[in-house]
Amino acid sequence: MTLVTAAAVSESGSATVLEYRNVRKLYGAFVALNDVSMEVKRGQVVCLIGPSGSGKSTLLRCTNALETIDGGEILFDGVPLPKDKAAIRKVRQRMGMVFQNFELFPHKTAVENITMGPSTVLGLSDEAARERAQVLLKKVGLADKANNYPANLSGGQQQRVAIARALAMEPEVMLFDEPTSALDPETIGEVLNVMKALADDGMTMIVVTHEMTFARRVADHVVVFERGEIIEQGPPQQIFEAPLVARTRDFLSHLGWNA
Amino acid sequence: MNLDWSIIPASAGALAQGALITIALTVLTMAIAVPCGIVVALLRESRFTPVAFLATCFVELFRNLPIILVVYWAFYVMPVVLDLSFSPFVTGLVALCLNNTAYNSETFRSGIRSIRKGQTEAALAMGMSEGEAFRKIVLPQAWRRVLPVLATTWVTLFKDTSLVSVIAVGDLAHTAMQIRSQTFRVIEMLTAMAAIYWLLGYPQAKLADWIHKKFGVTE
Repeated sequence: MTLVTAAAVSESGSATVLEYRNVRKLYGAFVALNDVSMEVKRGQVVCLIGPSGSGKSTLLRCTNALETIDGGEILFDGVPLPKDKAAIRKVRQRMGMVFQNFELFPHKTAVENITMGPSTVLGLSDEAARERAQVLLKKVGLADKANNYPANLSGGQQQRVAIARALAMEPEVMLFDEPTSALDPETIGEVLNVMKALADDGMTMIVVTHEMTFARRVADHVVVFERGEIIEQGPPQQIFEAPLVARTRDFLSHLGWNA
Repeated sequence: MNLDWSIIPASAGALAQGALITIALTVLTMAIAVPCGIVVALLRESRFTPVAFLATCFVELFRNLPIILVVYWAFYVMPVVLDLSFSPFVTGLVALCLNNTAYNSETFRSGIRSIRKGQTEAALAMGMSEGEAFRKIVLPQAWRRVLPVLATTWVTLFKDTSLVSVIAVGDLAHTAMQIRSQTFRVIEMLTAMAAIYWLLGYPQAKLADWIHKKFGVTE
């Protein structure tokens, strides 16, 4: 199935979509991110793994400027993230974000949640936005739930609507912040399947996850965080089968994963 | 005891007019104090501290003064100190609005704060401005949550409008008291006044109950 409606083409056409250079983030005296450097190439799926509180989500939130960084640089499509509010909004329109708690708008139906962005931000007509929403709902397997309010959807369904909502902006990058952590075990699969299909379609994705099987199967590049620092990064074969760093192995074995 | 109930039908016209003024005061006060309450709530949340401080002073002042005092103040002090003088009706309206704006701003502030930060972030993440996120995402949800509280405020306000009778606004309470002092029909007029307030207030209270049931917290 094809989830990407518009071709995810960058403005510059460069291979590197996101580049993090020595990124530092502080909360008071607490160092949330320290000297984080990594790269995301077009079409890549990058999984960020590591213990809770190790800075994965913070990095994701810095990527679309929901948090500001205190040092280093984040380059999106070769340009440092802007400070100006209007410019930040332009950048955010090119990134989709999926949250741990879905954050669907409870006063809007599934289809209205999806049309919200295109009609408010992109200025699409109601009709065009609705048409786009219907296509996306169908693609995440929820065409029959268009008029349901979030309260009447299961967690897995809500998260699929949230993915469709993010895709409706036709983003170049999708940011997933622990998309399955708040889900019942039996609904995790349906969300991961949608994400897998999205990856197969060539969407550039950064996924903060505790789903190691997903990371192993879908990621092109895996980054291991600990206490705000990257302790190891590489292809999934390296991270999951022959980690170079002992602490990576420790972390994985805590999750019951034996390299 | 010598009761003469004929005074009631005889003053029906005046009482009806008084009741209309009471209703008008309630409706106008809410129509002004709800939007003003939202504005004051936002000012209190402002990142610009002096603004937030002034808004807080406003709320704490008018929330903690008896309405009747504010009514007297608007009638006697405002014309002298601020050189603003209005008809008794508008003066009463000003006093009620000051009090209700303070209350409503607190209602809205708690409503706005009860909406998870993630909702705003989801809106920002799709490229909305902070203003759009507030208007389209936060306010509609907060509105739903505060509606039951506003309904209760409404019912209380309807009865509290009687306090403006002390500055001779021709509302129901003032009209009834006038007729009482002209005719010395104390029991009859107080009974009629009670009956009219109750008959008008009861459906409003029931409506508020219904709103509580319909819009009470769901999630």
